[in-house]
Amino acid sequence: MITVTINGKDIKLEKPVTILEAARTAGIEIPTLCYHESLELYGGCRLCLVEVEKMPKLQTACTLYVTDGMVVRTESEQIADARRGILEFLLINHPLDCPYCDKAGECDLQDLVEKYGPTAGRFAEGKRKHPESFDDPIIVRNMERCVMCTRCVRMCDGVQGDSAIAVTNRGSHSFIEPFSGGRYNCEYCGNCLTVCPVGAIMSRLHRHSYRAWLVETEVNTVCSYCGVGCSMVIQVRNNSINRVVPRFGLGINNGLLCVRGRFGYDYVGNEQRIKSPLVKKGGKLEPVTWNEAFNTVADRLKALRERYGGSALAGIASGRCTNEENYVFQKLMRCGLGTNNIDSSARLGYSGAQRYLENIFGQGVTANPIYGIANSEAILIVGGDPTAINPILGLQIRTASRNGARVITIGYAPGLERFNSIGLKPRIFTEGILLSGILCEILKIKPFTGENQTLESVIKGLSLRPAREIAEICRLAEDDIRKAAEAICNVSSISIVIGQDIIQRSNGNRNLFMLSSIGYMLNARMTLLSERPNEQGTIDMGCLPDMLPGGRPLEIETFRKRYEGLAGTEIPSGPGLTLMEMVEAAEAGQIKAMYIMGENPVFNLPDSNAVKKALGSLEFLVVQDIFLSETAKIADVVLPALAWSEKEGTYTNLERRMQHVRRAVDIQGMEDWRIISEIGKRLEVSMPYNSSEDIMAEMVRVSPLHTGLTYEDVDKGNALWPYKGEPLRAEMPSLSLSDENIIADKGKLYLMVRRPLFHSGTLSRRSYALNNICSEPYLRISRAVAERLSVKDGDVLKVSTVKGSLQVKTKVDISLNDSAVLLTNNFEGMGAFSLLGYKLDPVTKAPGIEGTEVTIEKGKPR
Amino acid sequence: MLSEKAIKQVDEIIARYPAKRSAVMPALYIAQMEFGWLTPEAIEAVSEATGVPKATVKGVATFYAMYKHKPIGRHLIQLCTNVSCMIFGAERLVDIIKNKYGLEAGGTTADGRFSLVIMECIGACGTAPAMLVDTDFHENLTEENIVKILENYK
Ligand code: SF4
Ligand code: SF4
Ligand code: SF4
Ligand code: FES
Ligand code: FES
Repeated sequence: MITVTINGKDIKLEKPVTILEAARTAGIEIPTLCYHESLELYGGCRLCLVEVEKMPKLQTACTLYVTDGMVVRTESEQIADARRGILEFLLINHPLDCPYCDKAGECDLQDLVEKYGPTAGRFAEGKRKHPESFDDPIIVRNMERCVMCTRCVRMCDGVQGDSAIAVTNRGSHSFIEPFSGGRYNCEYCGNCLTVCPVGAIMSRLHRHSYRAWLVETEVNTVCSYCGVGCSMVIQVRNNSINRVVPRFGLGINNGLLCVRGRFGYDYVGNEQRIKSPLVKKGGKLEPVTWNEAFNTVADRLKALRERYGGSALAGIASGRCTNEENYVFQKLMRCGLGTNNIDSSARLGYSGAQRYLENIFGQGVTANPIYGIANSEAILIVGGDPTAINPILGLQIRTASRNGARVITIGYAPGLERFNSIGLKPRIFTEGILLSGILCEILKIKPFTGENQTLESVIKGLSLRPAREIAEICRLAEDDIRKAAEAICNVSSISIVIGQDIIQRSNGNRNLFMLSSIGYMLNARMTLLSERPNEQGTIDMGCLPDMLPGGRPLEIETFRKRYEGLAGTEIPSGPGLTLMEMVEAAEAGQIKAMYIMGENPVFNLPDSNAVKKALGSLEFLVVQDIFLSETAKIADVVLPALAWSEKEGTYTNLERRMQHVRRAVDIQGMEDWRIISEIGKRLEVSMPYNSSEDIMAEMVRVSPLHTGLTYEDVDKGNALWPYKGEPLRAEMPSLSLSDENIIADKGKLYLMVRRPLFHSGTLSRRSYALNNICSEPYLRISRAVAERLSVKDGDVLKVSTVKGSLQVKTKVDISLNDSAVLLTNNFEGMGAFSLLGYKLDPVTKAPGIEGTEVTIEKGKPR
Repeated sequence: MLSEKAIKQVDEIIARYPAKRSAVMPALYIAQMEFGWLTPEAIEAVSEATGVPKATVKGVATFYAMYKHKPIGRHLIQLCTNVSCMIFGAERLVDIIKNKYGLEAGGTTADGRFSLVIMECIGACGTAPAMLVDTDFHENLTEENIVKILENYK
């Protein structure tokens, strides 16, 4: 026990902390400027100076640790003098332009000078000039206001891990700058903006459009971009979003955001939003009243059901819509249209993979807290770059690495290159074989435990190749494979992070099996990366062809009967079609009508031109969305929905935490659930909802997983797996494992999808901010390929596959494998999916994207 | 990019320290020799060779006055004018260089032959005045021999 006396008050402490922290626990204020609780200690500004008995000079409270018997004074004439002096120095070069500065009102310097500072300065020489920099589209830099606290640099280096900015130059000439001196070209997380105590680095998005004290309301909500589910505060004035900020101490992201969350919110205000329902008349979409739209949809769907039966109808739910909306959607499909043909884009990887893992380990196996990743001693990352797909989760991996964890990446993960201890880049399409090699090495070290006999017998039945052979197939050093296995074997807490690239293979289930086996042998926690904010919700709400809400298999009669009893309608007993199967069935003329909510399959599914043709041939297509997406354009009825910031509901993130999405602005229009309810009522489905909470109340009666859960539980942070319900316990079913599939690369190039940090697709390309940060797609090629074709950054290349060709600018990417070229699927008319075919994984039903040979040649400048 | 030889040198330096970033300063020096001065490309090359982010490398490079941040002539004259050298007439030598080559302190001749930097003691007080031309040391300079020495550098 340590006792320290601050301002005459005895403070007892369990372990040594800094004087500053000790004072704060006792409610004693010490002014600070460079200190920030999330950053490494620095002790640069000297504002926190205090007197410590027996120490001749003033000491910095933020860096000095208390010792037993220490006596500290935080206010005295001497201290006041020192603080005044420091502030006077800080203002020497400061332009004193508070009336014009956006930071005024929430500026630490302003507050400190007001409280402790001199009323006038004595420095008569001229001020240093450093013109404000507008070189960057998003971040404006005013280095005359900078107080050199280095909070931004410590944030970028030590937390974000991008190290994009640094103190440049020396002494009174120093300033903070990105490498280019102009544009940032960084990860654009904006976390440096959050910690800057003054108006030196600020966002241009809301420049001079508000004052901190004029914000009318603040709404706590959750980000709409990815499956991490970061908490954020939307600041509103005049019913429009001023800005989005994170809060330290709030949510999983604890004060951090990524570029999409922080800057990408402005898509909601894009003028391309659809404002009125549209019905196709004479080949053209014409505005109609809501009533006419509802009647058209209900009448047409009813007629088609009568004519062809429910099995000819299908629905696509959305990982961008709330749980409540997805719940109502599956109810409409099952009870109103009599079909189990319900799926969502989670099928592209997340849902099939989760089911696969759950079959082996039980329901909820991926429900692992994101912060647990930072505390892992070893992390194996396969199939995607978490720092781009789920950026805040990616930061956890960087943190773990800084804390000494062994980070092993397999495949393309440029965001982790400075953070991994072993980066294995196997030959393209051989990741699964590499995993089997790692498994083989692990089996040499770790014994079987007998816990899961079924799984163990399958593992024992595998004929695994020796490391030497694997090394040859994967073109890796044999030793590296062994080292990777050893690195994850000899520690006690391991996380495995799985991305879509490894799932999107025609034998993706085999890859998942290898990962499961590795996870089983090492008792690892598994996490699936998730590209949408509520992919998990589509699963939990029963937007699956074979699962009812709560993850209950449809084919088990007791579950089905229970559901039917509560819904008051019979539903078909056989499973419906999965996402890609629906599209194929539409092409084959078996599916006649589709209802698509918040999803854009014509753009977002592989072989998108074929998808367009298939959906174009439907007798009736309803699309409910906020933009006239590629899919909406070919629909018969388009129903305009509300965006994430305009409605209430819940999202379930990838760790299966339910969080509250709140309405921040009031917009004329209808939530997805309200639209569906209106149609449901016309189809005689009971939909007695007045609010999303009403839906939740019904849902928790239907889903055995969410029994009795309320919004209050969600708000209190108590809506964690397994909520208040019962996870399903079932025997591990027998596994059928797809064969190994070695694709000979024969020196050819293969096109793969890149999942970028700055874009998500339909929404992000309508964000002014994200479009300015990244305005066009690039074909990423390796340095060797660039040399072979003698092209450089920015040259236009023609990319062709059997499906078609595109002209696109190129960028050399030194992280890239020599036989892969990457293209995103985020830009209109330039999507990788228009060039890629697929082959379904028979188990997960995810589209396998592989063997996608591509030729590239120099193109004509556009 | 650095030459293969330079990359090898940097790798050797990296191997001497527990952390890669310890190699940044010597690597900057190597890059400066290859690029003539620390161009943005040179800094990027150091970043790539050491694995230290380029903004950080630039921060280090701009902190130290002895790295070159603008193009310099083919030959760099570093002439001392500190106390001992000054007493022995270094100021006159500055004038001679100025008259003969039109070269101001801190500048570069129009033909790109020489750059001149004034130094604060180069540790040759006993044999003052002294200068460095590139990496060659010249001491006991006089008004007579300085031009002769410089004429050896084309
Ligand atoms: S926006 Fe993020 S990545 Fe860019 S400089 Fe700031 S902290 Fe670093
Ligand atoms: S820009 Fe802001 S955070 Fe960075 S050093 Fe200057 S005052 Fe501090
Ligand atoms: S990590 Fe995901 S949830 Fe968090 S801010 Fe970024 S996009 Fe939003
Ligand atoms: S807050 Fe302690 S030195 Fe800056
Ligand atoms: S004063 Fe010139 S070398 Fe020391």
